[in-house]
Parts: sequence; C-alpha cells; structure tokens
Amino acid sequence: MYPALWHVTSRQWKSHRLRVALTTLGIALGVAVFFAVRTANATLLDSLTLTVERLAGKSTLEVTAGETGFPEQILETVRSTPGVQIAEPVIEVIANTGFEDEGNLLIMGVDTTGDQQLREYQFDRSQTQISDPLVYLAQPNSILLSQSFAERHGLRIGDALPLFTSHGRKDFTVQGLFKPVGIGEVFGGNIAVMDVYSAQVVFGRGRNFDRIDLVNSPDTPVETVQQRLRERLPSGLETVRPQVRGQALENAVTAMRVGMLVTSFISLLVGVYIIFNSFTIAVNQRWKEIGILRAVGVERRNISGMFLGEALVMGAIGSLIGIAGGYYLAALASKVMNSIAASIFGVISTPQPLQLHSNLVLTSFALGVACSLAGAWFPARAASLLDPALALHNVEARQQESVLGWARVTLGGGLLLLCSLLIQLSPARVGMTLQFAYAALMLLGLTIVLPKLVQWAALALRPLMDFAGGSEGALAVDAMIQSPRRISATVGALMVGLMFVFSTGAYIQSYRRMIDRWTSRLLNADLFVATSTLLRSTTYHFSEELGQRIAALPEVKRVDNVRFTLIPFQGDTAAVAAVEMDGFLERAGGAIEDGNEKTARELLPRGEGVLISKNFSTRWKIGAGGRVHLNTPARALDLPVLGLVEDYRSDKGTIFLDRALYKKYWDDDAVDFVEISLKPGGNATAVKGEIEKLTSGSEHALVYTNAEFRNWISGLVDQFFVLDDMQLVVAVLVALVGIVNTLIISVSERRREFGILRAVGGLRSQIRKLVLLEAVAISIVGVLVGAVAALFNIQFMSHTVSMVLTGYAVPFYFPWTLVFCTLPVVVAASLLAAWLPARHAMEVQVIEAIGYE
Amino acid sequence: MIQLTDVSKSYGSEKTVHALSHIDLTIAPGERVAVMGPSGSGKSTLLNLVCGLDEPTSGSVKVEGVELSGLTDDARTRLRREKIGMIFQTFNLLPTLTAGENVALPLRLQGEHKHEAERRAVAMLERVGLKDRAVHRPDELSGGERQRVAIARAVIFRPPLLLGDEPTGNLDSVTGEEILRLLDDLHSEYNNTLLLVTHNVQAAGHCDRIVSLHDGQIVRDERIEQGLAEIR
Repeated sequence: MYPALWHVTSRQWKSHRLRVALTTLGIALGVAVFFAVRTANATLLDSLTLTVERLAGKSTLEVTAGETGFPEQILETVRSTPGVQIAEPVIEVIANTGFEDEGNLLIMGVDTTGDQQLREYQFDRSQTQISDPLVYLAQPNSILLSQSFAERHGLRIGDALPLFTSHGRKDFTVQGLFKPVGIGEVFGGNIAVMDVYSAQVVFGRGRNFDRIDLVNSPDTPVETVQQRLRERLPSGLETVRPQVRGQALENAVTAMRVGMLVTSFISLLVGVYIIFNSFTIAVNQRWKEIGILRAVGVERRNISGMFLGEALVMGAIGSLIGIAGGYYLAALASKVMNSIAASIFGVISTPQPLQLHSNLVLTSFALGVACSLAGAWFPARAASLLDPALALHNVEARQQESVLGWARVTLGGGLLLLCSLLIQLSPARVGMTLQFAYAALMLLGLTIVLPKLVQWAALALRPLMDFAGGSEGALAVDAMIQSPRRISATVGALMVGLMFVFSTGAYIQSYRRMIDRWTSRLLNADLFVATSTLLRSTTYHFSEELGQRIAALPEVKRVDNVRFTLIPFQGDTAAVAAVEMDGFLERAGGAIEDGNEKTARELLPRGEGVLISKNFSTRWKIGAGGRVHLNTPARALDLPVLGLVEDYRSDKGTIFLDRALYKKYWDDDAVDFVEISLKPGGNATAVKGEIEKLTSGSEHALVYTNAEFRNWISGLVDQFFVLDDMQLVVAVLVALVGIVNTLIISVSERRREFGILRAVGGLRSQIRKLVLLEAVAISIVGVLVGAVAALFNIQFMSHTVSMVLTGYAVPFYFPWTLVFCTLPVVVAASLLAAWLPARHAMEVQVIEAIGYE
Repeated sequence: MIQLTDVSKSYGSEKTVHALSHIDLTIAPGERVAVMGPSGSGKSTLLNLVCGLDEPTSGSVKVEGVELSGLTDDARTRLRREKIGMIFQTFNLLPTLTAGENVALPLRLQGEHKHEAERRAVAMLERVGLKDRAVHRPDELSGGERQRVAIARAVIFRPPLLLGDEPTGNLDSVTGEEILRLLDDLHSEYNNTLLLVTHNVQAAGHCDRIVSLHDGQIVRDERIEQGLAEIR
C-alpha cells in the first residue's frame, strides 16, 4: 500500500517543488540553530571540563572557603589527617599584565617542592640548563610562564614580566617555560606559576591560602577522607571533589547556556508552524486526490500515514541539511559563547576544537523529524477524516473552518490563566523543567486561541486597511476575518518569534531600570576606585594602604574600603559586602527597607547585625527580624537581620556587614572598591585625576566619578545582555524566515483563488496589491498577536526565569517602543517576502488557474 | 454585440492543435445563443476568446464594437468587469468568502464601498431567491444554491453580456431547470446577451439560436426550433 502512496506523493512533490523546498528549509533552519547551539554548548563544557581536570591534576579532593581563603595552618591539619597522601596549597589570582591588548593571566601560586606530584608540568628545556625550574621559583619575583604566552610577547627565560599586584606593578623574572600540555593547555596558555608564599605577599593574601589540593592514599576511600576532613576542619571550610569546581564554572555560564537553548527551541517551534502551514495547504490542494484514493479503497490510517510519511521524509532531509549547516554555524556560536565565558571568568577559556558529538547528531535528527511529524499531525488527521463522497465534489464543497466556538476560546483562555497562576504562585525552586512546562502550557493555550486572536486583530485592522488600501485592503483582511485559521500558521510562526523578541526586550529594559534605581539609591559616593573592568576581580585586590593615600588628598572628606566576596552559605554560596557601616549608613541609610532604621543605625556599626539584599531574602527565605548563620574560617557567627536593601551585585544574594567584623572573623583586609566622599565644593574630576596619578604604575586601579561609575555599571549590564541582544537578532531572523517561508508557500499555492479574482474582473495590479496588502495585514496581525503573547511570556520571564537565573524577580514592563519599532521591520520583511509571490500571482493564467483543483 | 471575423486559435508549436478554424459569428444585442458540440470541438475556446481570457491566433474578436486584440490585458479585464458576467460549470466561488461577499466581489474590485457593495449583493441574492443564505459560505450551500450565487455574482453589475460555460453541468436535471429558468427571468429583466456553452439540449432549448461546432468549425447555425429538431 505505502509504496503506491509514496508514488502519489512523489508526483505531488515534483509539481510543488517550491513548497517542498521551503518546508524542508524551515525544518533545516530550526535543526541548524539547535544543533549549532548544542554543539557550541558541548564544546564549551568540554573546555570547562578540560580546564578543571588540568588545574586539579591528580587531586581527588579540594579544601576551600569560598573566595576568602583560609589560614595556612589548615594545611598542617589536612596533611596530618589519616588517609591524606599528598596535600598542596594553592593560591589562584587572575592578574592584569602590563601588556596592552592582552587578556588577564591566571597565576597559580604553588608549593615549588611538592606540586609536581599533583600536576603535570612539561618544561621547555631548550633555553635553559636548569633541571627543575620549579625549584627556582622560590627565588623572589620568579615566575614560570606558558610557552604560548611567552611566544606571543617575545619573552625568553630571564626576561621580565610586568604584573599588577596588590602592592603595585611589579616585574617578575621568567625562570622557565612550560609546554602546551598538562597545565599549559589551560586558558589558551594564559597561565603562569609562582611560589605560593610569594603569591601570598604580592597579591595581599596575608598568611592565607585559597585552596588545598589533596590526594587520598590508595588504601583509604575518598569518601572516608572527605568525612574525616569535614570533622577536623573549622565549619567555614568545605571539602569537595574537584568536579564541584567544574560545576561552579558551569553554573556561572548557565544563564548564557539556557538563553541559547531557548533560542534554539524557538527556531524549532517556528519550524513546526512552517510544517503545519505547508501540510494544511497540501491537504487542501489534494482534497480531490484524497477522495479518489479513499474511493479506490485506501483506508483512513493509510491516508494519514501517507502525509506523516511525507513529513518523516521531509523532516529527515531537513534535519540532515540542518545538521550539516549547523556544524558550520556552531563555529560562530562557539566563538560567541567562548568570548562571553571569557568575560565571565576573567580569562579566555581553554579553546577546544568543535566536536561532532554523535549523540547530538542523533538528538538533533530525532528532534527535527519529531517537529516535522508534530507539525504535520493535525493536517494528516484532517485528511484521514475527509468524507470521500464530499471530497470528490468541487472545491466549494470543501468544508471550511470549523466554528471558532467559545468552548475553544475558553479552553485556550483557561490554559493561559492556569499558566499565569502557576507562574505567580509556584516557588522559584520548583525546578526548571516544571517551569518550562508552564511556558509550554502557555504556548499551547496561545495556539488554541490563536485563530480567534487573528480574527479579532483582523477586525480591529479592517478600518485602517480599508482606508489605506481601498477595496483590495479590505478584501485582504476580510479573508482573514472569514478564515482566520488559514493564516494562523503564518501568524503563529511570527507570534512565537516576536513573543520571544518582545519579552526578552522587556526583560532587558526592566532589568536596566532596576539597576538604575539601585545605583541611584545605594551607590552614591562621589568617586569609586575598582580593581577590574568587570564589576570586581575575584582574585586581585587593593591593600588598605591605597585608601590611606587617597584620604590624604586635600579635597577628600572620607574614604570607605569595601570588600566584596563570596562565602559558603548553607551548602551554596552567598555574597558578603564588608563596608564601613557608619559611612554606608550616612550615604545610603534611607535605602533600608523592612526594618527599624534607628535600631539598624545603632547596631550595624557595632557589628551586631547585618543587612541583606532582597534577592538574598527571597533566595533563603530570611526577612528582617530573622537571623543569618555564617561559618567563618575563625568560628560560627550568628547575627540578626536588621533590614533589607535593594542590591543586584550578586545573583546569590548579598549580606552587608561591618568591615571590622569581617576582618576579625575572616582575617582578610583586602579591598575591592574604594568609595570616596569629597568635601563640599570638591571637584570630582580633578580628584579623579589626582587618584589616577597616585595609582599610576603601582595599582591596576580604575577610577570613576559617580556618573561614570553608574554608566560603567550600565555598560556591564549591556555587556551581560550582549547575548540576549544576539538572541533578539536570531529570533527576529527566525521570525522573518518563518513569515517569508509561509507567505511564499501560501501565496504560491493560491493560484485558483487569484484566477477567480482575475476572471471576475480583478486587474493584475489589483491582484498584486491584494497579495502585498495581505502580507502587510498578516505582519501587523502577527505583531499584535505577538505582543499579546508577549504579555504572558514577559510575566514568565520577569518572574520565573529571572528567579531561576538571578534569584530575584524583575518588575513587569511592557516594551511599547520595541513593539512599535519592530512593526515597520516586520512589515518591510513581509512585503519583501511577498513581492515575488505577488508577481507570480498577478501573472496567473486565468483559464489554467480556474480549472486547477 | 459580439462579432468574430475569421477567428482561428491554435495551440502548441511542434504538433499544432487547431482549436478554432476561420470562425465567423455575429451575435446581436439581447440575443441568447447556445454553442453546442462534442468535447474538443472548440466551445470553451470560443467562450474564452469572447471574454478576453484568451487571444486568437488570427482574426478579430469584437465585443460591443471594441476590438479585443488591440487591448492590453488590463483593458480586457476592465471590459470583462464592466460588460461581461461569467458563469462556470464549477461555480468558481471563493470558498473563504460568504455568499454575500462572493456576490459583492466584482463591485468591490471596481472600488465600490463594502457596505454599498454588500447591500447590493443582498438585494441580488434576494432576486435569485437566496436572501437568507447571504452569510453562508459555499460549503454550506447546495449545488443549485452555489450556482445561483455564481449567477448573482455574474449579473450584479448588470453586464450587457452574460457568458455561461456549462452552467448546469454539475447539477441534477431539476436544479438545472431551475437555474435555466432563473437565467430566462434575468434575461427578460435585463435584456442582456447570453452566450451559453453547453452539451445539454434542455439548456440549449432556453436559447434563441444554436451554433454547433465540430473540430473547431461552425457546422450549423440555426434558430432554435429548427436547430433543436435537428439535434433531437
């Protein structure tokens, strides 16, 4: 049976080559974007895994205390723990080099005598007679450098490498070069090694280590050693597997990966609508053929099987084309993701060649075919349900659209309402899969009500089209009002793409407004000095001595040192902002919410309480009046929460405490920001110049006036959203490809309709105008429906997605400007898409067309 | 009204098919003419040439004194929408539009405002006995009703010339007869010229004159009594 039906189908393909090609292209595009994103994602994860493996070497466990480090005495405790065979201290610093246009360098401070037991170093011995360069690291200001970095800068053994340390710019002597294997592979060779005790001094670590890497003895299981260390070490320290670090790196790029993934799913979804549109047209065209087949004994299931088989083949061909194209697209996606990952980590990520993962190929292929089958499902079912007697009648006998009853609208509306309630009422930690199921539910609801939305939008548009387009304009929308489902697939493709564009745009705008409010309320010093072009460096800090030098300037009234770092908190991490509370309260006391300001002003400077950010409060369900329990390297600390402040420096949530308290419990006097208040009449620009002069050649210090600092943060937010902007561009492109595709298919298959119009007196120019105006109407309706869909998706993004990715919800904001700016773009693209089909439509031969069924 | 002088129409280049060969035919205003003949005799080609959907290979086609071969495509289309109403065997209604909207379509293509066009369409539907079906789409109408809608669409702008291509070909005999009576009524009301291509003797019986075609040539051209008797 099926070979015979395939023969029928193949004849149809031959006579409708354009439709088949465009439909296959629709699937290919979706699969290409999906495959590219997943391949780039997998390559990035490979790169992260390799980085973690190379940095960890043979380590089976790591002892850490967040970013703050811990006293070096801990090393003896670890080494004396039964079952620990090797334990080596590490300090990691991402330091700025004195070279222009060069990324940062990861400096690993290691114990020169023992570290080779843990990590692989292969030295280039061609330039030196020294048998073991690691031993020579013990000499002051010595450093080992990766061969690739040295070659890029023409450095040889014995040359000086300038680095910005906590005590200013210093030159280090290159004592050896290691090859690009083992540790030399990490971060594209942007890595150097120095003595851990020298690193303590030059990078302001005091007598602390950042980490201890250890190997358990063969006779003691890792779990046993881990348990023993947990029992023996202070509560602020964590003993974890090195892979956890990989997880942390992965988490840092989660938002980017999720964003890219959503974009790829949008592309696939548009593909589904394209298939749906194409097969709906095919079933309409082949109405009589279906009747004949049924009349000669083909069963219903064979009819649906014929269409689904067609979808299967199209899906398979489209998927293969998509995978091939996606592989090349992946190179671009990988470049973008690596560059964003580099900006997140502070150093370039370890580059990896693109890998063709067979499981990804299979997944992409299966998804492409599944999307094709899903899109063809309803048209195939409709074809199988055709009454053969009716199908053999003329075209007018074809039953048109089923009534768009209120039952359908109620069902769709009910789903949307349910989805809204779920989004609002379910907690952020309900799980990403479930939350994305809400989005799927929302999309289903929108798809169900889509024909009604199209009808309403077309009704609203009619007076305008009548006025601007004359009778052709009115005719164009009348067809939409009468048969909204005919164009629902086209509008649906547009809706999905634009919904994503509008809601991402709304999210970005809302986030920017929130950041503006935060910076104006909380960041109100006259000048700021920062350690990094990112918001902060996790490893490079100032010493307090810098603040003293700045305080000595005549126009400076007050200097506040701020330490901002991450600490372990309840099995996760939280940010700590250690500020000089009296100064902080003087400038930003009014920003305290949900607490007694008077009590807060009294207790906070004494170190008898903390403030918490709102996202910390949401994340950990602790409010004003509650308490936070902190495991510090010294001992446990339990403090009352005296109020909440709006602060977005960390997605983990921030605890604000007095700097003296922090220094006491964490034994850390490092400084990440210096905030400067000027005397009345002080000239910020002039003082900025003086501070730059003061720090020139000594600290890697970035000095900003208040306005510059706020602009800089806005810039960082923009940088954070670069990917989202790219996603917007991809979404617009996908939406446009969707509309181009569906319009070309729709118009090219309506020859008979145009033939009738010509027969009853429609001029060629009128047919062209009609087609173009219909494209305009579809695009306007698409934008309107996309905006309605965005209303729901904005709610999802500003609440659920934001909570998952950042720990706080952003206020609902509707991007009117974006919607209005998108409209002409979409209309222009639609006109462009419809131009060629419109020309074909006007050249329709009436006699052939009206005999065409 | 219609004048065909030495009209020939051929198709194909290598293996030429002569659909019409040296036809001369004159139809007076208000006259009802049935064109009959077996399949492939050139009936539909003749109709397509008269309504300007096709052009002759040689010869002259004049409608209301206007030489069609000298007209551009747009001019022929304008002539069609102002002077010629067309009725098809397969109705050729737009399935997405209601009966009222289908009838109003020629007026709207002429730039008539929607409300006025639809008001006139409803009046015309009332005239053909389908006032209650104005908001129904073609798939909700019977075959006879669909052909009535098609007739209403063809005559809504009072064309002086009405062309019918097997208008009863898809209908049962009772419904077919109703349609023919409707055409009679409309003819007596508007006095338009009717050119009917048909296989159906019953349909031809409603005309004043029968032109018989065979292999692209006119083999007989007679008044109705004589013609029908010959055919029967």
